[in-house]
Amino acid sequence: MIKKKAKNKDHWFSIRKELPPARRTLLTACSFFLPLLVWITVSYVPFIWHPDIKLQLSADRVGVTTVFTAGDRMSKDFFPTFVEAVRQENRTTLDAQKKGKPLSGSRRDNIKKLRHLSPVGVANGWLENNQRQDDEKLFEIWKGLAEETLTSKAISLSKENLEIIKDNWRALSKATPTFNSKLYPTEALLKLIPQGVSSNPVYLPAPHEVIAAGWLDFNTQPDNGMPTMWERYRHSLSIIFWGFAYSCLLGIPLAILCGSFDFFSKLHEPFVDFFRYMPAPTFSVLFVAFLGTSDAPKIMLVFVGTFFQLVLVIANTTRLLENSLLEAAQTLGANRRQLLARVILPGILPNLYNDLRILLGWAWTWLVIAELIGEKTGLTGFIDTQGTRYNFDRVFPVIILIGLTGFFTDRLLFWLRNLFFPWTEDARQAPKGPLTRFVLSFRDRTAYFKKSDS
Amino acid sequence: MSNSLELPSYLEKSAAVSERFKKLHRRPVKLKVEDLSKKFETPKGELVALNQINLEIHRREFITVIGPSGCGKTTLIRILAGLDFPTSGKVKLEGKKMEGPGAERGMVFQDYTLFPWLSVKKNVMFGLEIKGLGSQKAEAEAMEWLEIVGLAKFAEAYPGQLSGGMKQRVAIARSLANRPEILFLDEPFGALDAQTRASMQAYLLKIWQNVDVTVLFVTHDLDEAVYLSDRILVLRANPGEIDELIEVPVPRPRDPGQFLTPEFLATKKRLEELIRPPELAQNEEIPMIRLTEVGDEVE
Ligand SMILES: Nc1ncnc2c1ncn2[C@@H]1O[C@H](COP(=O)(O)OP(=O)(O)OP(=O)(O)O)[C@@H](O)[C@H]1O
Ligand SMILES: [Mg+2]
Repeated sequence: MIKKKAKNKDHWFSIRKELPPARRTLLTACSFFLPLLVWITVSYVPFIWHPDIKLQLSADRVGVTTVFTAGDRMSKDFFPTFVEAVRQENRTTLDAQKKGKPLSGSRRDNIKKLRHLSPVGVANGWLENNQRQDDEKLFEIWKGLAEETLTSKAISLSKENLEIIKDNWRALSKATPTFNSKLYPTEALLKLIPQGVSSNPVYLPAPHEVIAAGWLDFNTQPDNGMPTMWERYRHSLSIIFWGFAYSCLLGIPLAILCGSFDFFSKLHEPFVDFFRYMPAPTFSVLFVAFLGTSDAPKIMLVFVGTFFQLVLVIANTTRLLENSLLEAAQTLGANRRQLLARVILPGILPNLYNDLRILLGWAWTWLVIAELIGEKTGLTGFIDTQGTRYNFDRVFPVIILIGLTGFFTDRLLFWLRNLFFPWTEDARQAPKGPLTRFVLSFRDRTAYFKKSDS
Repeated sequence: MSNSLELPSYLEKSAAVSERFKKLHRRPVKLKVEDLSKKFETPKGELVALNQINLEIHRREFITVIGPSGCGKTTLIRILAGLDFPTSGKVKLEGKKMEGPGAERGMVFQDYTLFPWLSVKKNVMFGLEIKGLGSQKAEAEAMEWLEIVGLAKFAEAYPGQLSGGMKQRVAIARSLANRPEILFLDEPFGALDAQTRASMQAYLLKIWQNVDVTVLFVTHDLDEAVYLSDRILVLRANPGEIDELIEVPVPRPRDPGQFLTPEFLATKKRLEELIRPPELAQNEEIPMIRLTEVGDEVE
């Protein structure tokens, strides 16, 4: 019997029982670590998902105008078909050569085929990023690879491709031993066979790609006069701040009046309740029309998005204040004004603060929409641009930044709540860390030495 | 329990007690209730919570209202405090008709209505500050009242840190600090355990002895009613009407030793007769329900 009880205490799954602190900390860590682990696993363990092939060489095939450049992705189902098509082309070219009637192509086509090797040059550092079309440098690379004075370390070329390089070089060097694009052969050269590595779709970049892209974006000055990421961040924050500030400034007094006086409640709340169901973004065109394309319509959208909810939520919070407190104050002689200022306001303050904290979370949602109306700005503007270009590795850092900002403001506000309202039940029961006790010691000098009062 | 035949009549008073009641009735009337009725509109129809209540409370009297649950005690006290309005009838404080709540009628509620965001001291200062007393003066007075209820040590604590009994003492101090003409208490000790309750009764008696205040007290507890009051107003339910107004024959000053005196027991017995529902009074034989099969000798 006693043994069983002890065992129960050790149970990880007991209904409505708190786990011991060590376990709670462990689980909290896991709640963040597990999703991260899933991301890492899916990104780096090839057989889990990886439905695509990420090309390492540029490639095209006849009859199709799109050129796949290195880094483009192709589904694993389609890749063999594509490779086979290119091989087939090469076979046709070779057959014709054997019959002594080489296919005639154009120099332009051949130059294009030779340029398919440029990703190898870039990857090995033989070419700068902007030299992908530098045919003279490419000529040297073809030569080096064919004569084996160069070996590609960054991308290991398949045997098949090394053969093709040698074949092509033979034809090329016969026509022009030193670089002269005018002397390039006119008979068709062979195409490099597409080569690639197994990868996830473009919308799931791996952690290191995301970190690298984020690091780059947040540390470089974009050209063409676009704002830096930090400027964008500040811009987003300012919109959310002003939108929410106006919302509070007008909403809180109105809400308290509605929660205190039936007069205001009946006069305003039905309309507010109705208006709340009209989605704020549907007014965005209107806002742009009368406020212009600056920040004003964006601030307005955050305002409209939060204001109506705020009024209803806080009016309700006001109504939840125990009536007996108001009655007690009345029997102590409080008049209407004193009831508002000395009972209702301080009485609802902790809950009001909590409501605002939650509403601020919603404001972030409105911000995302707000930044897309009129001129696209801020962090969302960046996400939008990069998203349409499929640069998802650059999108994720921004999404994570927004998440972290929201999360940490919320935690901070939560922590401050216990300092602002030490009399609430929550504050009394909250564990007090060294920092909390230090801050509290300004109010009560013994607080630093109290672990938490019982 | 002593045999009821040995008890004197609760109407019999010693000479000293009779003298005290004579004096009490000569005192000016503090609160006068005239033909007070209260009806509630409920879905099931009209409910007469109070019917034609007439009552005079004298200055510095301690009067207790007692009655079965739902007889209208809370309704009565709330109307007297101005928190509810009567359907008909008048409440007069020193001859003036009262409407709405006011500082001259203090109230202590059952569910400790202290302001949780104010320290104990600030709670007691609340009424004083509202009256416009300077904060220094208010603080000094508040501390005096906290001294009287024995909580000066806890002046800086928040109400949430206090026990139920302490909270109720703060609430009493807060009401008294306002120097009300009359103090209403609606089952103030109802939520407390028996021991705290006993000490709170002692506190209240002591305060009442030292402070010139008229008290109207609502309770369920018969001992409490007899122990504290000068007079006991017994209400009857459906409709809420005055059943009887008892002058408690127990001499003052009171102390817990009086709980077993014949006058005390006689009064209590009378209250029991008035309040106890008649159907429970008969001792019907009900066969014992056995929860387990064993142990048949157990009775
Ligand atoms: N606001 C109201 N609306 C309708 N009926 C009410 C209202 N307040 C009280 N009543 C009814 O009036 C009657 C008297 O209620 P009241 O609360 O005064 O009784 P009480 O004597 O204080 O009871 P208890 O001893 O349980 O506190 C009850 O029947 C109750 O249901
Ligand atoms: Mg009641």
